[in-house]
Amino acid sequence: MSWQPRDKTLGVINTKAGNLFSLYACLKRIGFNTVQINTPDDIKNKSVDALVIPGQGRFGQVMKQLTATGLDKSIIQWVRQGKPLLGICVGLQVLFEQSEEDPGVRGLGIFAGKVERLNSPKQPMVGWSKLNSSVGSMDEKVVYFVNSFGVKQSAVTAATVTYGEQFVAAINQGNIWAFQFHPEKSGEVGEEIIKQCLCN
Amino acid sequence: MSMQLENVNNGLIPRVIVCLDVANGRVVKGVNFKGLTDMGDPVELVLRYQEQGADEIVFLDIKATLENRANALDTVRRVAQNLSIPFTVGGGLNSYADVEQFLNAGADKVALNSAAVKTPELINQIAEGFGSQCVVVAVDVNKDAVDDYAVYVSGGHVRTELDAFSWFAEVEQRGAGEILLTAMHRDGTGIGFDNELMAKVAKERNIQVIASGGAANEQHFVDTFMAGSDAALAAGMFHRGELSIQDVKQALRQQQILTR
Repeated sequence: MSWQPRDKTLGVINTKAGNLFSLYACLKRIGFNTVQINTPDDIKNKSVDALVIPGQGRFGQVMKQLTATGLDKSIIQWVRQGKPLLGICVGLQVLFEQSEEDPGVRGLGIFAGKVERLNSPKQPMVGWSKLNSSVGSMDEKVVYFVNSFGVKQSAVTAATVTYGEQFVAAINQGNIWAFQFHPEKSGEVGEEIIKQCLCN
Repeated sequence: MSMQLENVNNGLIPRVIVCLDVANGRVVKGVNFKGLTDMGDPVELVLRYQEQGADEIVFLDIKATLENRANALDTVRRVAQNLSIPFTVGGGLNSYADVEQFLNAGADKVALNSAAVKTPELINQIAEGFGSQCVVVAVDVNKDAVDDYAVYVSGGHVRTELDAFSWFAEVEQRGAGEILLTAMHRDGTGIGFDNELMAKVAKERNIQVIASGGAANEQHFVDTFMAGSDAALAAGMFHRGELSIQDVKQALRQQQILTR
């Protein structure tokens, strides 16, 4: 049985690393209820169904905030319990072990691998690109990317994209979904991808 | 597939960008530089363009003067709440604090023109604070008696002594994510983008170049993308209904250029 967006409350992690206006606006347009998560207690008290790590800011900045609030441990515990998690852009990257963007800062390490500088023809990569995926809602879809860094290989790859070189555009394992692209800026296609990942 | 076409379809699809002028919460257009005609509600218009398949929306002249600031921010907020594609705002943003206000109101990027010329360090500051992807530097160039490509500021009214090609290099080096390059000598002519210029800048620079000025038909978009422009911007031809975004996208597809 699939859920409707209105039945779900998404807890958007406050990474204090940029403007989340677009993300909240997108989640509301899809129909989700949204709450802001500032502390580990917020996750319990606000009866959250899924967590969202937003796609603003840099690797080190986001990890610093997650560590300072203790939300790093909460997220790891959350995914161990098999609960739904959505990561966007840097929110995908922090799920890995480390990043060339901020060497020496440890990621959440939920997945093996590292984030590397991408060999994009033009940097930063800003624009629309077509996905290759075995997931119906993503395959051949054109979505919006904004990045200089990315994961080049992962055992949990759900979609890839090629700009100069191939890299990971989306990952999935169980109820964890994360995107290197910005579904919240990818028109109707992006909204549909979020909906499919969280409601099926 | 030709080498040229391979370069166009290199992974990022060429963007078709619609530019709107906004004043006092309404979309406006100038009539012979004398008066402004009301063209409608910004939210309605941007949603129409989004539905037609526009790849990005730009407000280039939000007139973010101090007296108009609250109004301009409110318009940006209303648009950002409804728009699900990238949204760039420029016009009268002069400081880091100005930029922060508009990004917080929901703009994805800001376009700096005169402010970047006046205070080039602003490009570095915004790139460091918010990331290069937020910073579009808009450059207006004009062929005049002295120079093939003189850089103009203040809405094209004031000529500077800048060397255009050194300026493009400098904005890239300071951390701009894109250059929005308007050829004033093509603006309103309808003879197409200045592709010689666009090709040169797109090739020399390692950031994306948005072509602006001169478009009147779908072939002009095909031509500028084939020449190397990463994106192309137009206003009047779309607003007057002479051409729809679909027409442009269809022409691109017929030439095997990728669209979304």
